[in-house]
Amino acid sequence: MDLFLHLCVMIIIYIIFAMSLNLEVGYTGLFNFGHVAFFGISAYTSALLSLQQVPFELSLLIALAMAGLWGFLLSIPSLRLRGDYFGIVTLGFGEIIRMVFQNEVWFTKGPMGLPGIPKPILFSYRFATLSQYLLLTLGFAALTFLILRIILRSPFGRVLRAIREDEVAAEALGKNVFFFRIKSFVIGSLFAGLAGTLWGHYTTFISPGDFTLLETILVLLIVVLGGKGTEWGPVLGAFVLIFFQESLRFLRLPAEWTRYLAPLQQMIFGGLLIVLMIFRPEGLLKEKGRGSNAGN
Amino acid sequence: MDFLFQSILNGILAGCIYALFAMGLTLIYGVLNFVNFAHGELIMWGAYFLYFLMGKPFGFPLPIALIPALLLTILLGIGMDRFVFKPLRTANRLTLLIAALGLSFLLRNGAQFLWGAELRTYGFEIKRGLRILGISITLNQVAIILTSIVCIVFVYLLFHRTRLGKSMRAVSDNLELARVMGIDSKHAIQFAWVIASVLAGVGGILLALDTNLQPGMGLINLVKAFAATLLGGVGNIWGALLGGIVIGLAENLGVLVISPGYKDAIAFGIMVLMLLIRPSALLGRQE
Repeated sequence: MDLFLHLCVMIIIYIIFAMSLNLEVGYTGLFNFGHVAFFGISAYTSALLSLQQVPFELSLLIALAMAGLWGFLLSIPSLRLRGDYFGIVTLGFGEIIRMVFQNEVWFTKGPMGLPGIPKPILFSYRFATLSQYLLLTLGFAALTFLILRIILRSPFGRVLRAIREDEVAAEALGKNVFFFRIKSFVIGSLFAGLAGTLWGHYTTFISPGDFTLLETILVLLIVVLGGKGTEWGPVLGAFVLIFFQESLRFLRLPAEWTRYLAPLQQMIFGGLLIVLMIFRPEGLLKEKGRGSNAGN
Repeated sequence: MDFLFQSILNGILAGCIYALFAMGLTLIYGVLNFVNFAHGELIMWGAYFLYFLMGKPFGFPLPIALIPALLLTILLGIGMDRFVFKPLRTANRLTLLIAALGLSFLLRNGAQFLWGAELRTYGFEIKRGLRILGISITLNQVAIILTSIVCIVFVYLLFHRTRLGKSMRAVSDNLELARVMGIDSKHAIQFAWVIASVLAGVGGILLALDTNLQPGMGLINLVKAFAATLLGGVGNIWGALLGGIVIGLAENLGVLVISPGYKDAIAFGIMVLMLLIRPSALLGRQE
Protein backbone atom coordinates (compact mmCIF):
# COMPACT_ATOMS: atom_id res chain seq x y z
CA MET A 1 0.00 0.00 0.00
CA ASP A 2 2.85 2.37 0.89
CA LEU A 3 4.46 1.56 -2.42
CA PHE A 4 1.28 2.47 -4.22
CA LEU A 5 0.94 5.76 -2.33
CA HIS A 6 4.60 6.57 -3.00
CA LEU A 7 4.03 5.97 -6.70
CA CYS A 8 1.03 8.28 -6.67
CA VAL A 9 2.95 11.09 -4.94
CA MET A 10 5.83 10.84 -7.41
CA ILE A 11 3.49 10.75 -10.39
CA ILE A 12 1.62 13.81 -9.19
CA ILE A 13 4.79 15.80 -8.55
CA TYR A 14 5.97 14.99 -12.06
CA ILE A 15 2.57 15.93 -13.46
CA ILE A 16 3.07 19.43 -12.04
CA PHE A 17 6.64 19.52 -13.35
CA ALA A 18 5.53 18.35 -16.82
CA MET A 19 2.56 20.73 -16.98
CA SER A 20 4.93 23.63 -16.42
CA LEU A 21 7.19 22.48 -19.25
CA ASN A 22 4.20 21.84 -21.47
CA LEU A 23 3.26 25.51 -21.19
CA GLU A 24 6.68 26.43 -22.59
CA VAL A 25 7.44 23.64 -25.07
CA GLY A 26 3.93 22.61 -26.03
CA TYR A 27 2.00 25.85 -26.12
CA THR A 28 4.61 28.57 -26.63
CA GLY A 29 7.14 26.59 -28.68
CA LEU A 30 10.10 27.49 -26.45
CA PHE A 31 12.99 25.03 -26.60
CA ASN A 32 13.66 24.77 -22.89
CA PHE A 33 16.24 22.03 -22.36
CA GLY A 34 17.23 23.03 -18.83
CA HIS A 35 13.96 22.83 -16.96
CA VAL A 36 15.61 20.94 -14.10
CA ALA A 37 17.38 24.16 -13.07
CA PHE A 38 14.18 25.74 -11.76
CA PHE A 39 13.09 22.52 -10.09
CA GLY A 40 16.47 22.47 -8.33
CA ILE A 41 16.61 26.16 -7.41
CA SER A 42 13.29 25.92 -5.59
CA ALA A 43 14.08 22.61 -3.95
CA TYR A 44 17.28 24.08 -2.53
CA THR A 45 15.74 27.42 -1.55
CA SER A 46 12.85 25.88 0.29
CA ALA A 47 15.04 23.24 1.93
CA LEU A 48 17.59 25.78 3.16
CA LEU A 49 14.89 28.06 4.54
CA SER A 50 12.95 25.25 6.20
CA LEU A 51 16.13 23.99 7.85
CA GLN A 52 16.40 27.49 9.36
CA GLN A 53 12.90 27.04 10.87
CA VAL A 54 11.21 29.39 8.39
CA PRO A 55 7.50 28.42 8.15
CA PHE A 56 6.57 26.39 5.08
CA GLU A 57 4.12 28.96 3.70
CA LEU A 58 6.88 31.56 3.56
CA SER A 59 9.64 29.30 2.27
CA LEU A 60 7.34 28.01 -0.47
CA LEU A 61 6.61 31.55 -1.60
CA ILE A 62 10.28 32.53 -1.57
CA ALA A 63 11.21 29.33 -3.42
CA LEU A 64 8.65 30.09 -6.15
CA ALA A 65 9.86 33.67 -6.35
CA MET A 66 13.46 32.49 -6.77
CA ALA A 67 12.52 30.13 -9.60
CA GLY A 68 10.55 32.89 -11.30
CA LEU A 69 13.33 35.41 -10.80
CA TRP A 70 15.99 33.14 -12.31
CA GLY A 71 13.66 32.31 -15.16
CA PHE A 72 13.29 36.01 -15.79
CA LEU A 73 17.03 36.70 -15.59
CA LEU A 74 17.87 33.85 -17.95
CA SER A 75 15.20 34.80 -20.45
CA ILE A 76 16.46 38.36 -20.99
CA PRO A 77 19.66 37.51 -22.83
CA SER A 78 18.44 34.32 -24.43
CA LEU A 79 14.81 34.66 -25.48
CA ARG A 80 15.45 37.12 -28.26
CA LEU A 81 17.27 34.37 -30.09
CA ARG A 82 16.02 31.68 -32.37
CA GLY A 83 15.17 28.30 -30.94
CA ASP A 84 18.49 26.45 -31.30
CA TYR A 85 20.38 29.09 -29.34
CA PHE A 86 17.78 29.22 -26.62
CA GLY A 87 17.92 25.44 -26.38
CA ILE A 88 21.65 25.39 -25.84
CA VAL A 89 21.65 28.28 -23.38
CA THR A 90 19.03 26.55 -21.21
CA LEU A 91 20.90 23.25 -21.53
CA GLY A 92 24.06 24.97 -20.30
CA PHE A 93 22.16 26.74 -17.51
CA GLY A 94 20.93 23.41 -16.15
CA GLU A 95 24.53 22.20 -15.87
CA ILE A 96 25.83 25.45 -14.34
CA ILE A 97 23.17 25.49 -11.62
CA ARG A 98 24.17 21.99 -10.61
CA MET A 99 27.79 23.15 -10.53
CA VAL A 100 26.76 25.91 -8.10
CA PHE A 101 24.99 23.42 -5.81
CA GLN A 102 28.13 21.32 -5.92
CA ASN A 103 30.71 24.05 -5.33
CA GLU A 104 29.13 26.44 -2.84
CA VAL A 105 29.79 24.08 0.04
CA TRP A 106 29.41 26.81 2.71
CA PHE A 107 25.84 27.30 1.57
CA THR A 108 24.51 24.07 0.08
CA LYS A 109 26.90 21.61 1.80
CA GLY A 110 28.03 20.60 -1.71
CA PRO A 111 28.00 16.91 -2.63
CA MET A 112 27.03 16.00 0.96
CA GLY A 113 23.54 17.26 0.26
CA LEU A 114 20.92 18.54 2.66
CA PRO A 115 19.36 15.88 4.91
CA GLY A 116 16.43 16.25 7.29
CA ILE A 117 14.20 18.61 5.31
CA PRO A 118 11.06 18.87 7.48
CA LYS A 119 7.64 17.79 6.25
CA PRO A 120 5.52 20.82 5.41
CA ILE A 121 3.16 22.43 7.91
CA LEU A 122 0.50 24.38 6.08
CA PHE A 123 -1.90 26.50 8.17
CA SER A 124 -0.77 24.58 11.27
CA TYR A 125 -1.62 21.22 9.68
CA ARG A 126 1.33 18.87 9.35
CA PHE A 127 1.48 16.74 6.20
CA ALA A 128 3.58 13.93 7.58
CA THR A 129 2.21 10.58 6.44
CA LEU A 130 2.15 9.35 2.87
CA SER A 131 -1.59 9.73 2.43
CA GLN A 132 -1.53 13.24 3.88
CA TYR A 133 1.29 14.17 1.53
CA LEU A 134 -0.62 12.69 -1.37
CA LEU A 135 -3.53 14.96 -0.50
CA LEU A 136 -1.24 17.99 -0.42
CA THR A 137 0.33 17.29 -3.81
CA LEU A 138 -3.05 16.44 -5.29
CA GLY A 139 -4.36 19.82 -4.12
CA PHE A 140 -1.42 21.67 -5.65
CA ALA A 141 -1.66 19.67 -8.89
CA ALA A 142 -5.36 20.50 -9.24
CA LEU A 143 -4.57 24.15 -8.58
CA THR A 144 -1.80 24.13 -11.21
CA PHE A 145 -4.05 22.41 -13.72
CA LEU A 146 -6.80 24.99 -13.20
CA ILE A 147 -4.51 28.02 -13.29
CA LEU A 148 -2.79 26.82 -16.47
CA ARG A 149 -6.16 26.02 -18.04
CA ILE A 150 -7.44 29.53 -17.30
CA ILE A 151 -4.22 31.06 -18.64
CA LEU A 152 -4.23 29.00 -21.81
CA ARG A 153 -7.91 29.56 -22.62
CA SER A 154 -7.55 33.31 -22.17
CA PRO A 155 -6.55 35.68 -24.98
CA PHE A 156 -3.03 35.50 -23.52
CA GLY A 157 -2.93 31.78 -24.20
CA ARG A 158 -4.10 32.28 -27.76
CA VAL A 159 -1.27 34.71 -28.37
CA LEU A 160 1.21 32.13 -27.08
CA ARG A 161 -0.08 29.57 -29.56
CA ALA A 162 -0.03 32.15 -32.33
CA ILE A 163 3.64 32.85 -31.55
CA ARG A 164 4.38 29.14 -31.69
CA GLU A 165 2.73 28.76 -35.08
CA ASP A 166 4.00 31.91 -36.75
CA GLU A 167 6.16 34.39 -34.94
CA VAL A 168 6.15 36.93 -37.73
CA ALA A 169 2.36 36.92 -38.05
CA ALA A 170 1.97 37.45 -34.30
CA GLU A 171 4.42 40.31 -34.49
CA ALA A 172 2.50 41.79 -37.41
CA LEU A 173 -0.67 41.75 -35.28
CA GLY A 174 1.08 44.04 -32.84
CA LYS A 175 2.00 41.44 -30.23
CA ASN A 176 5.36 41.89 -28.58
CA VAL A 177 6.63 38.34 -29.05
CA PHE A 178 9.59 38.84 -26.72
CA PHE A 179 7.42 39.87 -23.72
CA PHE A 180 4.91 37.10 -24.24
CA ARG A 181 7.71 34.58 -24.36
CA ILE A 182 9.26 35.94 -21.17
CA LYS A 183 5.91 35.74 -19.38
CA SER A 184 5.38 32.17 -20.52
CA PHE A 185 8.90 31.22 -19.45
CA VAL A 186 8.56 32.85 -16.02
CA ILE A 187 5.20 31.19 -15.35
CA GLY A 188 6.66 27.85 -16.44
CA SER A 189 9.64 28.33 -14.12
CA LEU A 190 7.34 29.17 -11.20
CA PHE A 191 5.40 25.94 -11.54
CA ALA A 192 8.60 23.94 -12.03
CA GLY A 193 9.60 25.54 -8.74
CA LEU A 194 6.39 24.32 -7.12
CA ALA A 195 7.17 20.78 -8.24
CA GLY A 196 10.75 21.10 -6.95
CA THR A 197 9.63 22.36 -3.54
CA LEU A 198 7.10 19.56 -3.13
CA TRP A 199 9.69 17.01 -4.17
CA GLY A 200 12.36 18.28 -1.76
CA HIS A 201 10.01 18.19 1.23
CA TYR A 202 8.82 14.76 0.20
CA THR A 203 12.18 13.00 -0.11
CA THR A 204 13.59 15.05 2.85
CA PHE A 205 17.09 14.74 1.35
CA ILE A 206 18.44 16.57 -1.69
CA SER A 207 21.91 16.66 -3.24
CA PRO A 208 23.34 18.05 -6.49
CA GLY A 209 23.13 14.59 -8.08
CA ASP A 210 19.33 14.82 -8.03
CA PHE A 211 19.29 17.66 -10.55
CA THR A 212 21.00 16.31 -13.63
CA LEU A 213 20.16 16.21 -17.31
CA LEU A 214 18.20 13.03 -16.58
CA GLU A 215 15.44 15.07 -14.91
CA THR A 216 15.20 17.38 -17.90
CA ILE A 217 15.07 14.46 -20.31
CA LEU A 218 12.49 12.66 -18.20
CA VAL A 219 10.13 15.63 -17.97
CA LEU A 220 10.59 16.42 -21.67
CA LEU A 221 9.80 12.82 -22.50
CA ILE A 222 6.67 12.95 -20.32
CA VAL A 223 5.47 15.99 -22.25
CA VAL A 224 6.16 14.69 -25.74
CA LEU A 225 5.00 11.15 -25.00
CA GLY A 226 1.72 12.33 -23.50
CA GLY A 227 1.19 14.87 -26.23
CA LYS A 228 2.64 18.36 -26.16
CA GLY A 229 0.16 21.20 -26.27
CA THR A 230 -2.64 19.14 -24.71
CA GLU A 231 -4.19 19.52 -21.26
CA TRP A 232 -4.08 15.84 -20.35
CA GLY A 233 -0.89 14.88 -22.16
CA PRO A 234 1.47 15.56 -19.23
CA VAL A 235 -0.85 13.61 -16.91
CA LEU A 236 -0.87 10.57 -19.16
CA GLY A 237 2.88 10.79 -19.84
CA ALA A 238 3.71 11.04 -16.15
CA PHE A 239 1.59 8.00 -15.32
CA VAL A 240 3.32 5.85 -17.91
CA LEU A 241 6.91 6.96 -17.37
CA ILE A 242 7.05 7.46 -13.61
CA PHE A 243 5.32 4.14 -13.13
CA PHE A 244 8.03 2.55 -15.28
CA GLN A 245 10.88 4.35 -13.53
CA GLU A 246 9.75 3.93 -9.94
CA SER A 247 8.66 0.33 -10.28
CA LEU A 248 12.17 -0.61 -11.48
CA ARG A 249 13.43 0.64 -8.12
CA PHE A 250 11.18 -1.73 -6.23
CA LEU A 251 11.99 -4.89 -8.14
CA ARG A 252 14.81 -5.57 -5.64
CA LEU A 253 17.31 -6.43 -8.32
CA PRO A 254 20.81 -7.41 -7.25
CA ALA A 255 22.97 -4.40 -6.42
CA GLU A 256 25.64 -5.17 -9.02
CA TRP A 257 22.97 -4.87 -11.73
CA THR A 258 22.31 -1.20 -11.04
CA ARG A 259 25.69 -0.34 -12.54
CA TYR A 260 24.19 -1.51 -15.85
CA LEU A 261 20.48 -0.92 -15.26
CA ALA A 262 20.69 2.83 -14.61
CA PRO A 263 22.42 3.69 -17.91
CA LEU A 264 20.27 1.15 -19.73
CA GLN A 265 17.10 2.80 -18.47
CA GLN A 266 18.44 6.19 -19.51
CA MET A 267 19.37 4.83 -22.93
CA ILE A 268 15.74 3.75 -23.26
CA PHE A 269 14.59 7.29 -22.42
CA GLY A 270 16.92 8.79 -25.03
CA GLY A 271 15.98 6.22 -27.64
CA LEU A 272 12.29 6.69 -26.93
CA LEU A 273 12.65 10.43 -27.56
CA ILE A 274 14.22 9.74 -30.97
CA VAL A 275 11.67 7.11 -31.96
CA LEU A 276 8.77 9.35 -30.90
CA MET A 277 10.12 12.30 -32.85
CA ILE A 278 10.56 10.25 -35.99
CA PHE A 279 7.33 8.24 -35.93
CA ARG A 280 4.86 10.12 -33.76
CA PRO A 281 6.00 13.64 -32.87
CA GLU A 282 2.55 14.61 -31.61
CA GLY A 283 2.59 11.98 -28.85
CA LEU A 284 -0.21 9.78 -27.57
CA LEU A 285 -2.82 12.51 -27.33
CA LYS A 286 -3.07 14.82 -30.27
CA GLU A 287 -3.67 18.53 -29.92
CA LYS A 288 -7.13 19.47 -31.16
CA GLY A 289 -7.48 21.68 -34.18
CA ARG A 290 -3.92 21.28 -35.24
CA GLY A 291 -3.16 19.84 -38.65
CA SER A 292 -0.49 17.23 -39.04
CA ASN A 293 1.55 19.57 -41.19
CA ALA A 294 1.49 22.42 -38.68
CA GLY A 295 4.90 23.62 -37.64
CA ASN A 296 7.33 26.28 -38.61
CA MET B 1 55.07 35.79 -13.99
CA ASP B 2 55.99 32.26 -15.09
CA PHE B 3 52.63 31.23 -13.75
CA LEU B 4 50.93 33.63 -16.10
CA PHE B 5 52.85 32.39 -19.14
CA GLN B 6 52.08 28.83 -18.17
CA SER B 7 48.37 29.65 -18.02
CA ILE B 8 48.53 31.31 -21.42
CA LEU B 9 50.22 28.24 -22.88
CA ASN B 10 47.62 25.93 -21.32
CA GLY B 11 44.91 28.23 -22.60
CA ILE B 12 46.15 28.08 -26.17
CA LEU B 13 46.47 24.33 -25.87
CA ALA B 14 42.89 23.90 -24.69
CA GLY B 15 41.78 26.50 -27.19
CA CYS B 16 43.17 24.52 -30.13
CA ILE B 17 41.11 21.53 -29.02
CA TYR B 18 37.94 23.60 -28.55
CA ALA B 19 38.52 25.07 -31.99
CA LEU B 20 38.37 21.58 -33.50
CA PHE B 21 35.04 20.95 -31.75
CA ALA B 22 33.63 24.30 -32.79
CA MET B 23 34.69 23.94 -36.44
CA GLY B 24 32.81 20.65 -36.72
CA LEU B 25 29.73 22.01 -34.99
CA THR B 26 29.58 25.08 -37.16
CA LEU B 27 30.19 23.03 -40.31
CA ILE B 28 27.09 20.92 -39.65
CA TYR B 29 25.19 24.05 -38.71
CA GLY B 30 26.19 25.63 -41.99
CA VAL B 31 25.14 22.70 -44.13
CA LEU B 32 22.02 21.50 -42.30
CA ASN B 33 21.07 24.68 -40.43
CA PHE B 34 20.62 23.23 -36.95
CA VAL B 35 22.74 22.86 -33.82
CA ASN B 36 23.65 19.21 -33.44
CA PHE B 37 23.12 18.61 -29.73
CA ALA B 38 24.82 15.24 -30.08
CA HIS B 39 28.10 16.75 -31.30
CA GLY B 40 29.55 16.43 -27.80
CA GLU B 41 28.89 12.70 -27.92
CA LEU B 42 30.90 12.37 -31.15
CA ILE B 43 33.78 13.92 -29.22
CA MET B 44 33.29 11.58 -26.27
CA TRP B 45 32.86 8.44 -28.37
CA GLY B 46 35.92 9.34 -30.45
CA ALA B 47 37.98 9.34 -27.27
CA TYR B 48 36.40 6.10 -26.03
CA PHE B 49 36.91 4.32 -29.35
CA LEU B 50 40.63 4.87 -28.97
CA TYR B 51 40.46 3.72 -25.35
CA PHE B 52 38.65 0.59 -26.53
CA LEU B 53 41.23 -0.22 -29.20
CA MET B 54 44.18 0.39 -26.91
CA GLY B 55 42.79 -1.75 -24.10
CA LYS B 56 42.24 -5.50 -23.85
CA PRO B 57 41.74 -7.58 -25.99
CA PHE B 58 43.36 -5.52 -28.77
CA GLY B 59 46.12 -3.65 -27.00
CA PHE B 60 47.12 -1.69 -30.10
CA PRO B 61 49.69 1.04 -29.60
CA LEU B 62 48.37 4.55 -30.06
CA PRO B 63 49.53 5.25 -33.64
CA ILE B 64 47.95 2.04 -34.95
CA ALA B 65 44.72 2.43 -32.99
CA LEU B 66 44.25 6.00 -34.13
CA ILE B 67 43.04 5.31 -37.67
CA PRO B 68 40.39 2.68 -36.81
CA ALA B 69 39.22 4.86 -33.91
CA LEU B 70 38.63 7.76 -36.27
CA LEU B 71 36.95 5.47 -38.80
CA LEU B 72 34.57 4.30 -36.09
CA THR B 73 33.83 7.93 -35.19
CA ILE B 74 33.05 8.69 -38.83
CA LEU B 75 30.76 5.67 -38.90
CA LEU B 76 28.96 7.00 -35.83
CA GLY B 77 28.58 10.44 -37.40
CA ILE B 78 27.23 9.04 -40.65
CA GLY B 79 24.96 6.70 -38.69
CA MET B 80 23.57 9.64 -36.69
CA ASP B 81 22.66 11.40 -39.88
CA ARG B 82 21.29 8.33 -41.63
CA PHE B 83 19.08 7.05 -38.82
CA VAL B 84 18.07 10.16 -36.91
CA PHE B 85 18.55 13.40 -38.79
CA LYS B 86 17.82 12.30 -42.34
CA PRO B 87 14.27 11.09 -41.57
CA LEU B 88 13.71 14.47 -39.89
CA ARG B 89 15.05 16.74 -42.65
CA THR B 90 11.61 18.20 -43.32
CA ALA B 91 10.32 17.99 -39.74
CA ASN B 92 9.85 21.14 -37.72
CA ARG B 93 12.70 22.47 -35.68
CA LEU B 94 11.42 21.50 -32.23
CA THR B 95 11.01 17.89 -33.34
CA LEU B 96 14.52 17.85 -34.77
CA LEU B 97 16.15 19.34 -31.67
CA ILE B 98 14.31 17.06 -29.25
CA ALA B 99 15.50 14.09 -31.31
CA ALA B 100 19.06 15.45 -31.22
CA LEU B 101 18.88 15.83 -27.44
CA GLY B 102 17.51 12.30 -27.12
CA LEU B 103 20.36 11.02 -29.28
CA SER B 104 22.90 12.81 -27.13
CA PHE B 105 21.45 11.23 -23.99
CA LEU B 106 21.30 7.79 -25.59
CA LEU B 107 24.96 7.90 -26.66
CA ARG B 108 26.16 9.29 -23.35
CA ASN B 109 24.51 6.51 -21.42
CA GLY B 110 25.66 3.99 -23.98
CA ALA B 111 29.24 4.88 -23.06
CA GLN B 112 28.38 4.72 -19.38
CA PHE B 113 26.83 1.31 -19.89
CA LEU B 114 29.98 -0.03 -21.54
CA TRP B 115 32.71 1.68 -19.56
CA GLY B 116 31.07 2.96 -16.35
CA ALA B 117 30.89 6.51 -15.08
CA GLU B 118 34.37 6.71 -13.57
CA LEU B 119 37.22 8.82 -14.90
CA ARG B 120 39.60 6.93 -17.16
CA THR B 121 42.89 7.73 -18.86
CA TYR B 122 44.85 6.16 -21.68
CA GLY B 123 47.32 5.00 -19.05
CA PHE B 124 50.43 6.82 -20.21
CA GLU B 125 52.87 7.73 -17.50
CA ILE B 126 52.99 11.39 -16.74
CA LYS B 127 56.34 12.52 -18.05
CA ARG B 128 58.30 15.46 -16.83
CA GLY B 129 57.82 18.36 -19.15
CA LEU B 130 60.55 20.17 -21.04
CA ARG B 131 61.31 23.51 -19.52
CA ILE B 132 61.57 26.39 -21.93
CA LEU B 133 61.90 29.91 -20.54
CA GLY B 134 60.42 28.76 -17.24
CA ILE B 135 57.36 27.25 -18.87
CA SER B 136 56.82 23.52 -18.65
CA ILE B 137 55.49 21.71 -21.70
CA THR B 138 55.16 17.95 -22.10
CA LEU B 139 55.73 16.07 -25.35
CA ASN B 140 52.02 15.22 -25.34
CA GLN B 141 51.19 18.88 -25.33
CA VAL B 142 53.55 19.59 -28.21
CA ALA B 143 51.84 16.79 -30.12
CA ILE B 144 48.42 18.28 -29.32
CA ILE B 145 49.34 21.69 -30.71
CA LEU B 146 50.96 20.18 -33.82
CA THR B 147 48.00 17.90 -34.50
CA SER B 148 45.55 20.76 -34.16
CA ILE B 149 47.54 22.88 -36.57
CA VAL B 150 47.68 20.03 -39.07
CA CYS B 151 43.89 19.60 -38.82
CA ILE B 152 43.26 23.29 -39.29
CA VAL B 153 45.55 23.51 -42.33
CA PHE B 154 43.88 20.42 -43.73
CA VAL B 155 40.44 21.98 -43.34
CA TYR B 156 41.68 25.17 -44.98
CA LEU B 157 43.06 23.32 -48.00
CA LEU B 158 39.94 21.21 -48.26
CA PHE B 159 37.60 24.17 -48.28
CA HIS B 160 39.55 26.43 -50.57
CA ARG B 161 41.47 24.12 -52.86
CA THR B 162 39.21 21.16 -53.58
CA ARG B 163 36.02 20.80 -55.54
CA LEU B 164 34.34 18.92 -52.73
CA GLY B 165 35.17 21.63 -50.21
CA LYS B 166 33.88 24.30 -52.50
CA SER B 167 30.64 22.42 -53.05
CA MET B 168 30.24 22.11 -49.27
CA ARG B 169 30.69 25.84 -48.91
CA ALA B 170 28.15 26.41 -51.66
CA VAL B 171 25.58 24.16 -49.97
CA SER B 172 26.16 25.90 -46.68
CA ASP B 173 25.73 29.32 -48.31
CA ASN B 174 22.55 28.57 -50.18
CA LEU B 175 21.19 25.07 -50.61
CA GLU B 176 18.71 25.87 -53.37
CA LEU B 177 21.19 27.81 -55.45
CA ALA B 178 23.79 25.09 -55.04
CA ARG B 179 21.28 22.53 -56.29
CA VAL B 180 20.44 24.68 -59.29
CA MET B 181 24.12 24.79 -60.13
CA GLY B 182 24.15 21.01 -60.23
CA ILE B 183 25.99 20.41 -56.97
CA ASP B 184 25.17 17.06 -55.42
CA SER B 185 23.93 18.29 -52.05
CA LYS B 186 23.49 14.80 -50.59
CA HIS B 187 27.11 14.08 -51.25
CA ALA B 188 28.16 17.39 -49.72
CA ILE B 189 26.07 16.77 -46.60
CA GLN B 190 27.56 13.33 -46.14
CA PHE B 191 31.03 14.70 -46.53
CA ALA B 192 30.32 17.43 -44.00
CA TRP B 193 29.47 14.67 -41.49
CA VAL B 194 32.75 12.92 -42.25
CA ILE B 195 34.78 16.08 -41.63
CA ALA B 196 32.82 17.04 -38.51
CA SER B 197 33.26 13.53 -37.11
CA VAL B 198 36.99 13.50 -37.77
CA LEU B 199 37.44 16.90 -36.13
CA ALA B 200 35.33 15.80 -33.15
CA GLY B 201 37.18 12.49 -32.87
CA VAL B 202 40.65 14.03 -33.08
CA GLY B 203 39.64 16.75 -30.62
CA GLY B 204 38.17 14.23 -28.20
CA ILE B 205 41.29 12.08 -28.32
CA LEU B 206 43.56 15.08 -27.77
CA LEU B 207 41.43 16.27 -24.88
CA ALA B 208 41.49 12.82 -23.32
CA LEU B 209 45.29 12.67 -23.74
CA ASP B 210 45.64 16.00 -21.97
CA THR B 211 43.03 15.31 -19.26
CA ASN B 212 40.87 12.18 -19.00
CA LEU B 213 37.80 10.36 -20.35
CA GLN B 214 34.35 10.40 -18.83
CA PRO B 215 30.88 9.80 -20.33
CA GLY B 216 29.76 13.27 -19.23
CA MET B 217 32.53 15.05 -21.17
CA GLY B 218 30.35 15.45 -24.26
CA LEU B 219 27.73 17.82 -22.88
CA ILE B 220 30.08 20.34 -21.34
CA ASN B 221 32.25 20.41 -24.45
CA LEU B 222 29.18 20.96 -26.60
CA VAL B 223 28.50 24.11 -24.57
CA LYS B 224 32.12 25.21 -25.01
CA ALA B 225 32.08 24.51 -28.73
CA PHE B 226 28.88 26.45 -29.08
CA ALA B 227 30.25 29.38 -27.08
CA ALA B 228 33.28 29.41 -29.41
CA THR B 229 30.98 29.29 -32.42
CA LEU B 230 28.97 32.24 -31.11
CA LEU B 231 32.15 34.25 -30.49
CA GLY B 232 33.37 33.65 -34.00
CA GLY B 233 30.04 34.08 -35.75
CA VAL B 234 27.80 31.12 -36.49
CA GLY B 235 28.62 29.27 -39.70
CA ASN B 236 32.08 30.85 -39.90
CA ILE B 237 34.82 28.21 -39.67
CA TRP B 238 37.70 30.61 -39.04
CA GLY B 239 35.68 32.48 -36.47
CA ALA B 240 35.20 29.17 -34.70
CA LEU B 241 38.98 28.71 -34.57
CA LEU B 242 39.47 32.13 -33.03
CA GLY B 243 36.52 31.66 -30.67
CA GLY B 244 37.95 28.35 -29.44
CA ILE B 245 41.28 29.91 -28.55
CA VAL B 246 39.57 32.81 -26.76
CA ILE B 247 37.52 30.34 -24.68
CA GLY B 248 40.60 28.27 -23.86
CA LEU B 249 42.53 31.36 -22.73
CA ALA B 250 39.59 32.71 -20.73
CA GLU B 251 39.22 29.41 -18.90
CA ASN B 252 42.87 29.06 -17.98
CA LEU B 253 43.35 32.69 -17.02
CA GLY B 254 39.96 32.79 -15.31
CA VAL B 255 40.83 30.10 -12.77
CA LEU B 256 43.62 32.36 -11.50
CA VAL B 257 40.83 34.62 -10.23
CA ILE B 258 37.82 32.41 -9.50
CA SER B 259 37.42 28.97 -7.95
CA PRO B 260 38.61 26.12 -10.24
CA GLY B 261 35.27 24.41 -9.58
CA TYR B 262 33.75 26.88 -11.98
CA LYS B 263 36.27 26.39 -14.80
CA ASP B 264 33.64 24.74 -16.98
CA ALA B 265 31.19 27.57 -16.31
CA ILE B 266 33.40 30.23 -17.88
CA ALA B 267 32.45 29.32 -21.45
CA PHE B 268 28.79 29.58 -20.48
CA GLY B 269 29.42 32.99 -18.91
CA ILE B 270 31.07 34.22 -22.10
CA MET B 271 28.15 32.90 -24.12
CA VAL B 272 25.57 34.78 -22.00
CA LEU B 273 27.70 37.91 -22.09
CA MET B 274 27.88 37.72 -25.88
CA LEU B 275 24.12 37.32 -26.09
CA LEU B 276 23.64 40.38 -23.88
CA ILE B 277 26.10 42.66 -25.63
CA ARG B 278 25.81 41.76 -29.29
CA PRO B 279 22.65 39.77 -29.98
CA SER B 280 22.36 41.29 -33.44
CA ALA B 281 25.85 40.30 -34.56
CA LEU B 282 25.09 36.70 -33.73
CA LEU B 283 22.06 36.62 -35.92
CA GLY B 284 24.10 38.16 -38.71
CA ARG B 285 24.19 35.32 -41.16
CA GLN B 286 20.91 33.52 -40.66
CA GLU B 287 18.32 32.74 -43.31
